[in-house]
Amino acid sequence: MMKRFLELLGKGAAYFVIILFTLMTVYPVIWLLVNSFKATPEYMVDKIGLPKEWIVANYQGAWTLGNFDILIGNSVLYTIVSAFGIIFFAILAGFGFAKIKNRATGPIYGSFVLGLLLSITSLMVPLFLEVSQVDKLIGSLFASLGWMKAEDFHLFYNTRIGMILIYIGSGLPMAVYLCTEYIKSIPDSLIEAARIDGAGYFQIFWRIIFPMSVPIATTVAVINVPNIWNEFALINIIVSDTALKSLPLGILRFSGSMSTDYGKQFAALVIGMMPMLLFYFAFQKQITKGVSGGAVKG
Amino acid sequence: MVLPLRGKVESARAYWAFITPAFLLYLLVFAFPIVLSVILSLSNYNGGKMFGGEPWTIVGFQQFQKLFVDPNFWLALKNNIYIVLISVFGQIPLGFLLAYLIYRKIVRWGEGWQAILYVPAIISVIVLGIMWKMIFASNGLLADMMNSIHHTTFLAGLNHILQVSGGFNITDDFVRQLIAISDPHAVGAFENPVNDLKDLIVSGGYTAQNLDVFRTDMLNLLSPKWTPEFMSQQDVAMIPILFVTLWCWTGMYLILFHANMQKIDNQIIEAARIDGASEMQVLRNVVVPNLSGVIANAAILCIAGSLNTFALIWAMTEGGPMNVTQVLAIYMYQKAFIGAPDFPLANAISLAIVAFSFILIGITLIIEKRFGGRDQ
Repeated sequence: MMKRFLELLGKGAAYFVIILFTLMTVYPVIWLLVNSFKATPEYMVDKIGLPKEWIVANYQGAWTLGNFDILIGNSVLYTIVSAFGIIFFAILAGFGFAKIKNRATGPIYGSFVLGLLLSITSLMVPLFLEVSQVDKLIGSLFASLGWMKAEDFHLFYNTRIGMILIYIGSGLPMAVYLCTEYIKSIPDSLIEAARIDGAGYFQIFWRIIFPMSVPIATTVAVINVPNIWNEFALINIIVSDTALKSLPLGILRFSGSMSTDYGKQFAALVIGMMPMLLFYFAFQKQITKGVSGGAVKG
Repeated sequence: MVLPLRGKVESARAYWAFITPAFLLYLLVFAFPIVLSVILSLSNYNGGKMFGGEPWTIVGFQQFQKLFVDPNFWLALKNNIYIVLISVFGQIPLGFLLAYLIYRKIVRWGEGWQAILYVPAIISVIVLGIMWKMIFASNGLLADMMNSIHHTTFLAGLNHILQVSGGFNITDDFVRQLIAISDPHAVGAFENPVNDLKDLIVSGGYTAQNLDVFRTDMLNLLSPKWTPEFMSQQDVAMIPILFVTLWCWTGMYLILFHANMQKIDNQIIEAARIDGASEMQVLRNVVVPNLSGVIANAAILCIAGSLNTFALIWAMTEGGPMNVTQVLAIYMYQKAFIGAPDFPLANAISLAIVAFSFILIGITLIIEKRFGGRDQ
């Protein structure tokens, strides 16, 4: 009798904990959504209730004010190109590390694994200085050839290609590690069979390794897409031109100069939140699998 | 490992062709910046062309000496340590507990809870930071919720007083009871509360017919109010940040632990349960030892992540008010990019963050080695 009672009590406590956490997760997000349809004056006096009138104009206002068409376009570009870059270079390197004998594998692969522990945020100042010096060096080279003025040249600073190269680099340690360990499990006999048919390394890569790496490529993609989409610290210092900015930078502008226009600010936050929410609901299985593979960073 | 296909030369050429693109980008983003930060933190370089510009030299460990006596650095480090602590001893145990509830099917619909609890981890911390800033603001959602509770209790109290005093009947006793349910700060404004308040009410022209006006006026004047001071008060400014840190990432550890719990041989647990072991004993003696390697990995990633917190705090407070929510990454950013740049000092901070990460990760590995159970 007593045991039954304790068990029931335990179950009740368990449900209490999990429901409390779920409410704490869901409520703020729904609150955000609801208030994005509220007029600013109404929000000032009532922050809890439903809007008396559902105002869609908040979204129209936020969209044009925030240049969201440009920002979302840029975010899509940065994310997709960087994710494909990470996947391609990681599988390429993974093939090298896993299947081709070379004495350099120990130190170089080791350095990638060590990179798993480094966060790019802590290196943002030296990274910024490095890429701006590279820009200056190449600029002076071109200037000495008479092609252009030295300060006009930028490979990294304020360029899309520079930002993408940095994103690819920052995603590589995790991706190279995952791909190498995965490709190790592809049987050598497959490669040997191709070899007998007279295939070269590049043909083996394209015909066998790359197609067989689709599962790990999916994992790498679902880990990196949210990371790059949400990235703030680096793009904040590398990019200054509005036409090149990404979504998080645009959202932050709303909390600065436009912070008193709550209706639009809420709408901007929802616009900022939606793409990744949809991505999550579309790829929830793959994302859960990716996270549980120990592939966490954040 | 496949043997060289057509001789060593072709194999070596293919190897380098495959790994070079990734390795170059790795050098660009991780290796060179670290080397650069070591050099610059020991130098007096402060902007301009590094090569062929104004000359600069290595001047020694001055920056580190400067850091050690800099109160802002210690403040930032202290806050960072708070974040590490809430992450390692908050996110991980909570995530573990929730994972266990789902894994042992103590609660139903496990997959559903798990899917919802992960949502914050996928949304931009800029969005979440601004959202929580608006919740914790002095006129934000939290204040509104607390004050609507205050208002409801006050009105209920007022109605009760009206009832026991038999309608609108202002006596000293009535006023005393009113004061008892009022905000002490509001009452403190009166020199002689009972008399002054009584005069005020009597001269207010309230009658039994317009009690609603009376109620509203009393509510505005006397009801207890709560103004959160998270964004202005020094001692509490870190609380929202720590809370949001916990809120944001717990779901990720839940998924990580849950997935690894499913790899445990279920027969061991069933056998233990049949032998009369309680859930707590199963948790302590079977599940935790089996997952000690995963817990250590989680702790490592947790430490590396929390020492690099930047965007969330930037969105919530920008390190303010008066630097009280400063963390190392924000301090470094400010030294490099806000006001007059101090690149040597910023690089010294950058190195300090890397060094702290490695020290804490080293400690985690030692603990795992000494106390950890069977590895997976």
